[in-house]
Amino acid sequence: MFQYIVRRLVTMVPMMIVISILCFTVIQLQPGDFTTQFLTDPRITPEQVAQIRERLGLDQPPALQYLTWVKGIVSSGDFGYSFAYKRPVQELIWERMGWTVAVAGATIFFSWAVAIPIGIYSATHKYSFVDYLLTFIGFIGVSIPSFFLALVLMYLSLRLGGTAVGGLFSQQYIGASWSWAKLMDLLRHLWIPIVAIGLSGTAGLIRLMRGSLLDVLGTQYITTAKGKGLSQQVVIYKHAVRNAINPLISVFGMQLPELISGTIIASIVLNLPTMGPFFYDALINSDQYLVMTFLMLSAFLMLIGNLLADILLALTDPRIRYE
Amino acid sequence: MYGAQNALGGEVRFSSWLDRTKFQGGIFVRKLLLAVLLVLSMTLSAVASPAVVSPALFEEIGTHGGELVLGLAASPRSFNFYGIIDNAAYTILYNIIEPLVEENPATGEIIPGLAESWEIDESGTEVIFHLRDVAWSDGTPFTADDVVFTMEHVVMNTNAEGNSADRFTLGGQPVLWEKIDARSVKATLPSPYGAFTRVLTHALMVPKHKYEPFIAALNEGVEPGTINQAWTTDTPLAEIVGTGPFTLSEYVVDQKVTLKRNPNYWKVDTEGNQLPYLDQLVYLVVQDDQVMLAQFRSGEIHRVTITGQNFPGLKREELDGANFRVLTGSPVSPVPSPPHLAFNWDIEDEELREIFRNDKFRQAIEQTIDRHRIIEDVYNTLAIIPGVPVLPANTAFYNPAIEDIMRQYDLEKAKQLLDEVGITDRGDGVRVLPSGRPLELTLTTAVNVQPHNDIAVILENEWQELGITTHLQLISSTLVGQKRTAGEYEAIIEAFGNQPDPQLRKAIWQPGRSLYYWHRSTMDENQQPVLANMEDWELRIFDLFELGEVEMDPVQRKAYYDEWQEIYAEKVPVIYIAKGMELQAVSKAIGNVFLQANGQIVGTNYTAFIK
Repeated sequence: MFQYIVRRLVTMVPMMIVISILCFTVIQLQPGDFTTQFLTDPRITPEQVAQIRERLGLDQPPALQYLTWVKGIVSSGDFGYSFAYKRPVQELIWERMGWTVAVAGATIFFSWAVAIPIGIYSATHKYSFVDYLLTFIGFIGVSIPSFFLALVLMYLSLRLGGTAVGGLFSQQYIGASWSWAKLMDLLRHLWIPIVAIGLSGTAGLIRLMRGSLLDVLGTQYITTAKGKGLSQQVVIYKHAVRNAINPLISVFGMQLPELISGTIIASIVLNLPTMGPFFYDALINSDQYLVMTFLMLSAFLMLIGNLLADILLALTDPRIRYE
Repeated sequence: MYGAQNALGGEVRFSSWLDRTKFQGGIFVRKLLLAVLLVLSMTLSAVASPAVVSPALFEEIGTHGGELVLGLAASPRSFNFYGIIDNAAYTILYNIIEPLVEENPATGEIIPGLAESWEIDESGTEVIFHLRDVAWSDGTPFTADDVVFTMEHVVMNTNAEGNSADRFTLGGQPVLWEKIDARSVKATLPSPYGAFTRVLTHALMVPKHKYEPFIAALNEGVEPGTINQAWTTDTPLAEIVGTGPFTLSEYVVDQKVTLKRNPNYWKVDTEGNQLPYLDQLVYLVVQDDQVMLAQFRSGEIHRVTITGQNFPGLKREELDGANFRVLTGSPVSPVPSPPHLAFNWDIEDEELREIFRNDKFRQAIEQTIDRHRIIEDVYNTLAIIPGVPVLPANTAFYNPAIEDIMRQYDLEKAKQLLDEVGITDRGDGVRVLPSGRPLELTLTTAVNVQPHNDIAVILENEWQELGITTHLQLISSTLVGQKRTAGEYEAIIEAFGNQPDPQLRKAIWQPGRSLYYWHRSTMDENQQPVLANMEDWELRIFDLFELGEVEMDPVQRKAYYDEWQEIYAEKVPVIYIAKGMELQAVSKAIGNVFLQANGQIVGTNYTAFIK
């Protein structure tokens, strides 16, 4: 097992290099660069724009820009400099990491906590009215874009006299030290993003859990277990669910990058102080090293997530062995 | 020396005896004069008198306390006014740092700022500023050293990404700054410069004692680009000091910027009460304008800018007794930028190039634009006929004569003109070029700017009527900018903000400049004007801008710019369409934000108060 993990970690290196080259190429294919915005400003002369391009190194061939960037990372852990913020990119990303992980974590927790019990209920009561109802809600969750759901929830909240629209806190609690009132205020705001962003994930998970559990419930050993006179509870929770959960663990690994990238449009609409809107701005402005670092972090989390999922699978299912 | 009421400087000190002495010349006299000035400025500095704010900013005298909450459409990327191009940062910093001379927010006239007076010599090339006796918010005195430093090493530093060096360079020569004594500074201009005080209103003073370490010219081992790394968003807020009404007290990344009042601010209201009234000024970062509006409705934000589309709903709520007022101000500020239609005079297709350069063709197209319909349909009636491009409210420069020159909507006349140009109906309603090819135009505009989109669709219909097929190219505004710069378009709807002084927009409206984009061949690859490629009337405009730049007499300057507006209205190098009104909604709890008699919205953060 240990060997397997080491091998996986080592193969990540070439993978990351290929991903970084791909990302950098895509960024370079984008028309214009960071200095394009200066061209429309009557205060800045075209000579000055050329001067800025030269200082930022944007006049160099892309391959050289890429190698300089990689050299910085390898030699000094420097992921580059944000053109827009005039600061090292890792600092900027770190500043926004806390709320990003907190909100995404809460959302992921919400969707799992809701989806698994519902999925189990739907599977064990298949073709019942409640199953149809939950499946229907699930379809709505999959088909409504989360930003739209966010708008609808905000509208309803406002219509019902709520004042918690957008953001994570009421104005006076932003930056204030933690207190009971601040926590309550957070919870008053947090339910909208959690439901809006979480619902689409929830819906997918419900369907996955239901389908997987139905497959397992149809197998012979479940019939045997029932035949032996085991209680319904034991049959389902001890035998069926434990086997049906495997596909969900694979999905779990894929969700790790969502911790930072999440749903960008929904975050803008909900005015969340997370990485999504920040990344979107960087893309629009061609703030290339910020975009690169962000994409690399996202790719890295994806690889790590897959590895974690594989390890978890081995731990939960004794039949799976990586030797 | 020009009088106290001129457009150049509101309260220029009128001291004719000084002029006479100077006029006689002689080094001795000059030195004597300097000595007199020194004594004068010393007596001035002995009295640290607070300045009374223009009564035009008040609806009523306010009371101290409370906080005003405003929305900010993006997080500030830096707190360095000169390191970035970022409206969010500018919005915040205008509360913190200040210029030598200000624009009166109610009337637009130039009034004293950190310079309490200034005088201009006979030749118009020497301006002496007498500084106000104020301190930076950390207690350090504000002196002539700060002014010379800010101008030389920050404002005119071309390594600073948000510099204004171009505005302080005349004919390739920079304005020179010199300290006379702690309270006076002399600016020496390469030539007279009519818009000098106007451009100074955008040059905010930064503290030398905080900025100096970032300047390459003053420190060994510091790179030229380091100036941009001053006052980034991770700078301890106590380091960010200013002379303005507020100072930074807290920044929560991507959420909120809090400013608190500067207790030693130098402005007082008309009854002598210290300004600002507010204890705190809070900016909430809200990217989405619908959410901003929702937060305004819920009472979290006190004042927002709205669009013509939101207007009817909000107005109805106001009439139903909502706790806010909706203000419809006549346009005075640069934004919303008024859209115009332009054709590419340097397009590769020779036939199109020829017709785009033909005055009659553009005049015909002007008559296909129903400005009144656009104002009604696109702007919900909340727009006006624009100037070309000076705003009618800008009494210092607007030339009303253009109203009779601008062509009204008249499709019949447009058809006649097109016939004259040789673009004729071939019999089935399709207009063809002299070569027999049907006239088809690609109209490019920004898909994410709603008015531009709507206007494009209206134009498509009008042109259809004429027998011209239009292909709409609706793309993101960034791409529109790139196509414009690269000259890859046929017809385009674009917009540039208005400015009070045409000089500030010469990069756009003077032929041969970098943003005179519809006729790019008037500029060579070294960014120099090519007079040979200009039409006769373009040459005249080029000269008018050159003349206006060095003219100090406001009456003569207006005459130059009047002629420019008339030529623009007659020759329509670009066709102005409409200018949206300034729409705001403000909570009833906020005082001193109001419509003044001339229909303009007035309301500054330092005169606002909580009722």
